[in-house]
Order: sequence, then C-alpha cells, then structure tokens
Amino acid sequence: MLTTAPYLRTRRPSPTTAEFIVSTLPPMTIPLRLALGAVYLLRLVAALGILLLLFSAWAQSPYSSSNASLSSTSPDALDDDSPPPLLSLAFIQQLLFLILSTRPGSLFPPLASALPPWLLVPASAFALYSLSLRIGSEERLLVLRGLGVQTSTGGRTVFHPLQTRFIPTERVADVLVNEAFRGFGVRHYLVVVVRGGEDRLVVVFPELLPRLDDVARVLEGARACLYGGGGGGGGGGEEKGGGRFERRSIA
Amino acid sequence: MHPFSILTLAIFVAGYITARWDLVTRLYELIVFAWDKGVIVRAAQGFALLTLTFTLVLIPVQHIARVEADLHDGLMRVFWPIDITTSDVPGVVVGWRNSSLDVVVIAVLDHVDPRSVENALKTGILLRSAPHAVPRIFEICGQSSIHVLGVTNRNSEFEPDPSWVRATVGASYKVPKITCPKASSIQINLFQRPNPLRMQYISLNPIALSLADKENNASYRVFDSSDAEDEKQERKNKQKNRLLVDKEDQHSGVGHTPSQKDKALARVVNQINWTWELEHLLQKNVPLIGARPKRTLSVSERVVEHAVNMRDYLILWVCDVVILYAFPIIRSVFILILIGHRFAAEAFLQILEWRARPNSPALKDVSATAQQVEIRLQQFCYWPMQYVKLRLRKNDWDSVTDSHPDYIRFYNSLWLVANDVIIGIALGSYIIDNADWVADTISMLLGRYTINALQSSISWLMGWPAGLKLNSELALFLGDLFLWVIDYWSSCIGTLQPLLPHIVWFIGFSSFAGASMPIALFSDLLSVLTIHIYSFYLASARIYHWQLTILLSLFQLFQGKKYNVLRNRVDACDYDLDQLLVGTILFTLLFFLLPTVVVFYLNFALARMVIISLKAIFDTLLSCLNHFPLFALMLRAKDPRRLPGGIRFELRDTPDRLSINSTPPSPSFPQPTSVIYLKPVPLTFTAMFHQYFQMGNRIRKHYLSPRVLFCLVTGRFVPPIHRKALYSLQYSMLPARRAGIMEMWNALNSLPTKKRPVNVYPYGFPQPNGSLNGRRHTNGRAVRGM
Repeated sequence: MLTTAPYLRTRRPSPTTAEFIVSTLPPMTIPLRLALGAVYLLRLVAALGILLLLFSAWAQSPYSSSNASLSSTSPDALDDDSPPPLLSLAFIQQLLFLILSTRPGSLFPPLASALPPWLLVPASAFALYSLSLRIGSEERLLVLRGLGVQTSTGGRTVFHPLQTRFIPTERVADVLVNEAFRGFGVRHYLVVVVRGGEDRLVVVFPELLPRLDDVARVLEGARACLYGGGGGGGGGGEEKGGGRFERRSIA
Repeated sequence: MHPFSILTLAIFVAGYITARWDLVTRLYELIVFAWDKGVIVRAAQGFALLTLTFTLVLIPVQHIARVEADLHDGLMRVFWPIDITTSDVPGVVVGWRNSSLDVVVIAVLDHVDPRSVENALKTGILLRSAPHAVPRIFEICGQSSIHVLGVTNRNSEFEPDPSWVRATVGASYKVPKITCPKASSIQINLFQRPNPLRMQYISLNPIALSLADKENNASYRVFDSSDAEDEKQERKNKQKNRLLVDKEDQHSGVGHTPSQKDKALARVVNQINWTWELEHLLQKNVPLIGARPKRTLSVSERVVEHAVNMRDYLILWVCDVVILYAFPIIRSVFILILIGHRFAAEAFLQILEWRARPNSPALKDVSATAQQVEIRLQQFCYWPMQYVKLRLRKNDWDSVTDSHPDYIRFYNSLWLVANDVIIGIALGSYIIDNADWVADTISMLLGRYTINALQSSISWLMGWPAGLKLNSELALFLGDLFLWVIDYWSSCIGTLQPLLPHIVWFIGFSSFAGASMPIALFSDLLSVLTIHIYSFYLASARIYHWQLTILLSLFQLFQGKKYNVLRNRVDACDYDLDQLLVGTILFTLLFFLLPTVVVFYLNFALARMVIISLKAIFDTLLSCLNHFPLFALMLRAKDPRRLPGGIRFELRDTPDRLSINSTPPSPSFPQPTSVIYLKPVPLTFTAMFHQYFQMGNRIRKHYLSPRVLFCLVTGRFVPPIHRKALYSLQYSMLPARRAGIMEMWNALNSLPTKKRPVNVYPYGFPQPNGSLNGRRHTNGRAVRGM
C-alpha cells in the first residue's frame, strides 16, 4: 500500500550529468514519511519482542548458566544484591529479567516454553529476516560525462549497504537496450557493454526492470549525457539512438 | 651532402648545359617573352590574392571553429578537496591541470598574488624543503608541473585568465561556488582527502589481499590425473570465452573515442591521493613567496633558545652516540642470526621437498605436519624480504600507495602466527597437563570406533543383515578375512597403547610452535591409525569393481555382442553354444554373489567417507589458522578507507538556482553546475573471503560432483583431493619462488643504515626549530605501526 509500480525520475542539474532513478516508493510527502517511520518503528518493536522471546527460551533451557538466577529473580532477591555496574553483562541480564517480570513481558516465558526449540529458532530467524526487509526498492543510474557510468541498487534488507558499480568511460563500449524472455513475457532492459574485464554486460535496473518506454527514455538521456549531442544536436542524436536501438532489438 | 658528390653534380650540370646550349637559349627567350606579355605580374597578383584570402577567411574560420568546439564540450571538471583550509579572504587556487578544463585542486593559498605564485611554482620555491625527491611527485601524478588554477573570493573587477576558475569559498559555504568564463557547464567533484600518514588511499580497483602472480602459476600446475581433466576443461572453456570476447570486440563498432578527460581518471586518482601531502608542503612554503627572509636571531634570543633546547640536545647527543656505535653491531649480529636461520630453513625445506622421482609425491604432499612446517619455514624466509620492502617505503613519499597491500599482508601473517602461538600455548599446556586423560580418551575412541564398531558391523553383515539373505558362505569368508586382519591390527594398537601418552605429550609440546601444529599432527595421527580401514576400503572396492566389470562384459555376451578393443566400440559377435553356456552360468553365479560384496563394500566406503570428512574438518581448521584475513577485518572495522574497493559517486542537490543567479560575478552567465561527491567504497567482505569461497568451490567440485558418485557406485577408487589444490589458499600469501640465501643477504645489507637523527652538531649552533622538529618527527614515524 505504501509502494507503487516502478516509475522513472530524472535528476539533471547540468547537461553533462544525469541521474535516472527507478523506484517503487512514491515521491516523499510528509504523510508518507510519517507512515514509513511508523511502520519501521513497529517493525523494530516486533524484532525486539522476538529477541526477548529467544532470550526467555534460552534462560529456561538447561544450557543457561543463569538458570538458578531466574528462580531467584523475585523482588526480594533483587533488593539485597548490590546493583551490578552499568553496561556489564550482569546488568543487561538483570534488566532483561526485569522486563520479563513486567506484565507484557510475562507473556513471553509461557510462549517460549510452549514452542519446541526446533520450531522456535528457525521461525524467529525467518521472522527477523522478514522484518528487516526494506519497504520499496530503488535503483539508480548515474551518468557523468568524462567520468563514467554508475549503477546502484539498494540492499534487500536494512542491513545491506547500497551496492554500487562504477564503470569508467574508457571501458564503456556501448549502452543499449536488449530484450529477453522472462516467464511468458518479453522484457526490455538497459545494458552497459563493458570493454575488457570479467563480466561484459552490466544490466541496469536489474531488479525492477522498468517498462520499454522508460528504458528508451533512459537510453536517450544517457547517450546524450555521455557522448554529447544533447541540446542543439539533440534531434540527430535521438534519431541515431533510436535507429541503433531498433537494430539491436531486432537482432 | 658530400663535397665530392656536389662536384660531380656540378660537372654534370655544366656538361649538360654545354651539350644542349640551344635549350638554354630557348628558355631565355621564353622568359623574355613572358615578361613582355605580363605573365609574371599576373602570377604575382594571384599569389597575393590567395595569401589575402587565407589570412582573412580561413584563419578566422579555424579560430571560430576551435572556440565553438571548446564551448560545445565546454565541461569544466573540478576536483575539489572538501577538507582543505579555506577562509573568506582572497586567495589563489593551486593544483594540477590535466587538460584546459579539467583540474584537480590541491590547495588554496591565501594573501598572495596569482602572478607571484605562478613564478614561485615555476622556480620551485613552493616545493622547497620537501622531505623526499620532488621529481617523484610529477612522475606519479603524470603532469610536469603544478599550475595556478584560479582565484578565490575576488571581486568582479579582477580579470583573470579565461580558463581560470573563480571560486567563492568561506566558512558560510559548504560547497564552493565555482564559475569559469570559458566553460559552458561545470562539474564539481568534492572529495574527502585520504590521509597518507594513516595509509588511506583511493583506487579504482579493489585492493588485492593475496599475491597476484599465483593465479597464472596455479592454472598451469598439473594436479593428479582426475583433476587435470577438470582443469583442462575449465581452461578450454576460458579460452573459448576469450575468443568470443575478442570476436565481439572486433565486430562492435569503434564507438566513442575516449577524450582527454576520459583518459585522465587513473591519473586523477593518483593526484587525489597526493593532495594531502602536497597541500601541507605548499602551505608550509607560502610564507616564502614575496616576504623577506626572517632576520637572524639576536644574542639574547639565542641564549633563551639554548636554554630551552638544552635537554633535547643532551638526549639527541646520547641517541647519536648509541646509533653511531652500538647500532651497527646489533644490526650485524641480527643479520647473521637471520642468515643462520635461513640456512637451517633451507636444509629443512630441501628435505621436505625432496622427491625420489619427478612424479612421486614429496613429503609435504603426503603429511599435513610436513606441509605445516613447510608453510612456516617459507614464511620465515619471506618475512625479511617483505620487511626490507616495507622499510624502503620510508624513504619515499607517504602518498605512494604501491606497498600498502604488502604492508597488510606482512602484518596479517605476523599477527596470524602470533595468534597461532598464543592459542597453541593454551592448548599445549592443557594437553600436557592432561596427557594421560587425553591418551586414554584417544585409545578409547580408537578401540570403540575403529575396532569394536567395525568388528560388530562385520559380524552383523555375516549374519543376515536386515533380513537380507546374502550368500552365507561368501559372507563368512569375507567377514573372517576382515576380522582376522582387524584382530592383528588391534594387537598392534595394543602394543602402541603404552606409547600413546608419550605421543600425546609430544603433540602437546609441539603446540608451543602454534596451535596449527597439534592439529596437523592429529590429522596425520588419524590417517596412520585408520590405515586398516583405508586398506579394507581399497580391497573391497577392488573386488567389487572386478565383479562389476565381469558382469558387464558377460551381459554383453548375453546379448550376443562383444567389446572391440581395437575400435573402442561394441560389435556383434557369434558365440558358440558352449561359450554361451559357460558365460551364462558364470553370469548367474556372479550376479547372485554381488549383493554380499556390495554390502561389504558399502560398509567400508562409508567408514572411509567419514574419515575423509574428519580430515576435511582438520584442514579447514588449519586454513583458518593460517590464512584468516584477521588484519584486514580489523582494518575494515577500524578504518575502512585503508581497504579501498573502488570509488562511487553521489549526485548532490545543487544549491538553489536563485542564489547562483543573484551572485554578483556573472548574473548574465548562469552556468549549469552539478555537485558530485566522490567517495571511496570499502572492500566488500565477499572480496576478503574470496579465497575461502574458491577453496570451498574446489572441494565441492571434487567431492560432490557426479563423477565421484559414479566412482563410488562402480567401485572405482575415489581419489582424495590433492593437497596442493586444497592448500593453494595458504600459499597465496607466499611468492611462487622463495628468495635465495644470497638474495636475502644482499637485501638485508642494502637496507639504509640509520643516519644521525638530526643535522645538528653537538658543538655547533642549533638550527631553527622547525627543521629540528621536522626531522625528529620523521624519525618518530618509524615507530608508527598499524
């Protein structure tokens, strides 16, 4: 509900620099920002809850060294102990037991004991992974004349960093549109042909694969930006790009 | 021309003229005739007209064309370090000019005149008192000089060169505002300068953590026969790919010819790496421009300075004496010790690498312990060479980044060995303290799993296992055979039993040389103590394989066919009746005996697989201890900029157009500007563990391939993976060929001797403070480690 179909945005501060962004997140407005923030906050709370569940399961297991201390965490036992130093392991453990002894926290131990560990551990791992997935995805193509082409893809989860790949102009042999079968459909995708090196074809927007007219627009823009011919010679350049594209797609 | 040939020519011409005098007179008449008719005047007029056209039309057209071309690709590219010191006062921008509109800024010098800076750069005043050779800067940065690139914070009356940039910087501007009269659009690349003193740098390609020259050698190394096939196949595939790629290159059009700016990127990266050091040098020398040299100190000032520096002098003098007299002795003793070590290492290595025949395995290919010892010795041989290389780095600028991977490799291997020894001491003391218990456990495990379990499983197979009706006579025979050998083996183990605590004690003691040593020893011990299982496996596999081949060929007899050896194919064949009869009887017999043999074979094959996987676990542990990229991981956490994995660009939002248009310098000339941040990408974890992935792939290819399954099913011998293939990971930190003894001797002696720390003479007057501190600082850098 927060995402849309992939659409194209272009940033072009000067004729020699352009960034093409294909994203599934609609343009940021304040309500959207608030909604996203709320969703991530909820996810964080849920993830902490799962971690707490895992901890309570571990505390009940025979492997835990603090098995005895769990039984002795009644309030009177806590009182006569002097508080352990801040940020030590014991302090964190005590804090966790305190949380577990609160009313919402007391839901966890029975649940942890009800679930067998072989079910609990994989299920919570899967839940943590799915909670860390990013909402919406975004892929970019940055074209800089005289420097090169850079593709970037946002990571799948929150923990994955942005993956970028920079190709210097010297090594860019060509930029073109290719077509491929995927399932029962034909998809058109933008490809940077790299001169030398291991992988010769770098697919731009590999995850989102925008529609053909978007891809064609990006192709024209990228060619104009990379090789000049924008502005005055724009018509000729476009025609040439179009012809090229046609030939490739037939071949 | 040779005088003689001139003479010859002259004689020839004179002779020709005398011989053909009528021709000459006719030529003379022609000239007179042309003069009379005005031909020469007309020719002169035509020439003058053409000259006029050329100067008036063609030259301006060419000029206009050049200007237009400049404007058309009038992209001004500025690389601007975001962390240089700038202020609101007028200044001069200094840096590299790669082409007319492509500049890398090094520094902004305040309070100076552009002309005097240009003169100072030409005469080299600004690079004075450089700590190392100045030509090296220009060699690496690929330019012959540093230029004045523009001015900062000047008012609009100031008319600079049209290709100069005009920047507005200051505390209130996060991003400098740059205009250039000659450019049509501007690209500002901002970057954070890498600090060479912390060994940070940027590079286009990921840093290589392993030695590069291994790759080529590894691909040509011949592994044992089964692997050689795979390797060959792989190489063929690669060749094919390369051919295809070459063909594609030939067929794809010429495309876009790279311009000056495109080619400059590699140079720009070097220039960016040098920015920090050069900026400091330039800023230090700025006071030399225009200003008079300082007056000499007065007598009272000298007295004060002497009093302040007296303690420093004393310390320096003591240092001087120590370095002059004690240091050479310590140094030569140390070198002698190293060379002695090298001799011992060479002797051991010769033993470990000795092969009876060129194809037979050396000791290091057979035993894990020998392999481990060899790796350690090789490392000991390589360390001095590496150290010498790193030491020579100190004689060069810090911005030279060639040896940084060597630095990481050197300290990684040192650290790994230190870690190994620490873990080894803990492990060793534990093993020695509990030698009896460990020995008991080992003998208990041996008895339970390699003898009792095997005995019980064989006797189970001799009955009717799982209700399977085997041929009891054959099962009895085979079982008795194996049980008899096991009995003999267990008596052998029994005699070994009292020795076991000593062996364990020895293993524990060896672990003071590193935890990898006991692991390798245990691995070898495992293979020695389970040698009976290995031989059972071999024997049963042989029997099973024979039976299977006989069955197959008899099956062909059944069909009336025969394998033709000469043609390597199956031909039809007419058998006689008695041949067919005997064949059929034999086929039936063997077929009914097959399940019994299969059961025994499977039993031993399973045991063998368990042992192989145990050894694989040991080998993985060993490779972790020997090769883990610990130092690189630490650097990645501490300072990711020391492990560059490439660069990336980030397009920033341009400061709003309104403010650009309203700035006084050029309201009528709004140049579209894009602001880009150049950022280094740290090395990915995948790249760090690349070698491990490679090793995992190799093991998977060797053991989990259909070929191995086929071998297992047909009873052919499954070859264990060659040690070399498995250990290529560990050797990737070592050079393919170790340096010889003489080479090491020369390298160690070529190290520059430690100089007197300062150019200060104990009995002379002190030099100014600056140089003194500078020298001490450079010496102090020798201590700076990671």
